Amino acid sequence: MRERLLAAAYDCIARYGLAKTTVEDVAREAGLSRASVYRTFPGGRDELIREVVSWQIGVFFADLAHSVAAAEGFEDVVEAALLHAHRAVGEHAVLQKLLLTEPERLVPAISVETSRFVPLIAAFAEPYLAAERLRPGIDRREAADYVARMVVSHIASPGRWDLADPAQVQALVRTEILAGIVEPG
Amino acid sequence: MPASTAVDRGPDLDERIVDAALACFSRWGVAKTTLDDIAREAGCSRASVYRQFPGGKDVVLDAVAGRELRRFFDGLRAVLDAAPATLEDLLVAGITCASRALRDHGALQYLLLHEPEVVLPLVAFDRLDHVLDHAAAFCAPYLEPHVGEEWAPRAGEWITRMVLSYSLVPATFDLTDEADARRFVRSFVAPGLTASRTH
Repeated sequence: MRERLLAAAYDCIARYGLAKTTVEDVAREAGLSRASVYRTFPGGRDELIREVVSWQIGVFFADLAHSVAAAEGFEDVVEAALLHAHRAVGEHAVLQKLLLTEPERLVPAISVETSRFVPLIAAFAEPYLAAERLRPGIDRREAADYVARMVVSHIASPGRWDLADPAQVQALVRTEILAGIVEPG
Repeated sequence: MPASTAVDRGPDLDERIVDAALACFSRWGVAKTTLDDIAREAGCSRASVYRQFPGGKDVVLDAVAGRELRRFFDGLRAVLDAAPATLEDLLVAGITCASRALRDHGALQYLLLHEPEVVLPLVAFDRLDHVLDHAAAFCAPYLEPHVGEEWAPRAGEWITRMVLSYSLVPATFDLTDEADARRFVRSFVAPGLTASRTH
């Protein structure tokens, strides 16, 4: 039931935007009662919206994990992740529309939820780091945490880097992200 | 009450209102702070607050953010101007100063804890790009002698990303601690700055 409501809420938000999506809209879209919405999300509309954002961010990172499955070696994984993430953000129609029309509602929700994903991304990176030769004195957990932070930081705010350019992504990964962590060569 | 008293005018009225707003935000956060609260704290009338900051609380919040950012960079400049000559010492001095300024900022810490949705958007998406651009321009002159003109702004952007991330999201490294900051610089930063010269 929870998944059904989240999917329904997402469809409503895509159609009406964040501000105009009501519990009634979501219930109707899901073919369920208002009461069942409040039973599943006792915090009401605010909680529902937070959960939809969290769910969509989870979908994004699951897709990202899938996209690097073919990469060999941690450097390739991080490069593939940045290239894919940058493209995925640009091509996410609902995200781009909301960034344009309701940034003051969307960005707070995304920022808070995304910061919760840093440990998960670090956990994803750790096994890859275990297979690499790390520079002396580097702690694997600290390194995984650092990489997770850097990747998250670049995804939505590339700064001076053109993340559509594989050569730039490679330079970014080899210098700022991995130079301190992985033995060269 | 007289239409205009001494406390409702004066060259430092803006400053008093910004100070007052900061005090209120540190105590109650942004959502729960009213213009009346700010006016009372500043010792002026609500009308004065509106007159000085037409548009109300959002405009006051912008002014507070602007002033605190200025103070932040002034403090950082003082530390960097006095820092020793080696790249590592410069980075450690800058990173610890910046991290401590963020840690010791009462209003910021209150908001991070109770109203993260007010603060985090200021350093997300386009806004983060904007912050990085400004910080990169600030850091570049200090980094240039060490990494060259072309890489200095990129290095400044990179360091800013790290300080923000480790200060705003609970972390394994405590960048306010000099020993931790030095270990961080030696582990993750210095090798990258060396590698950047060959790319």
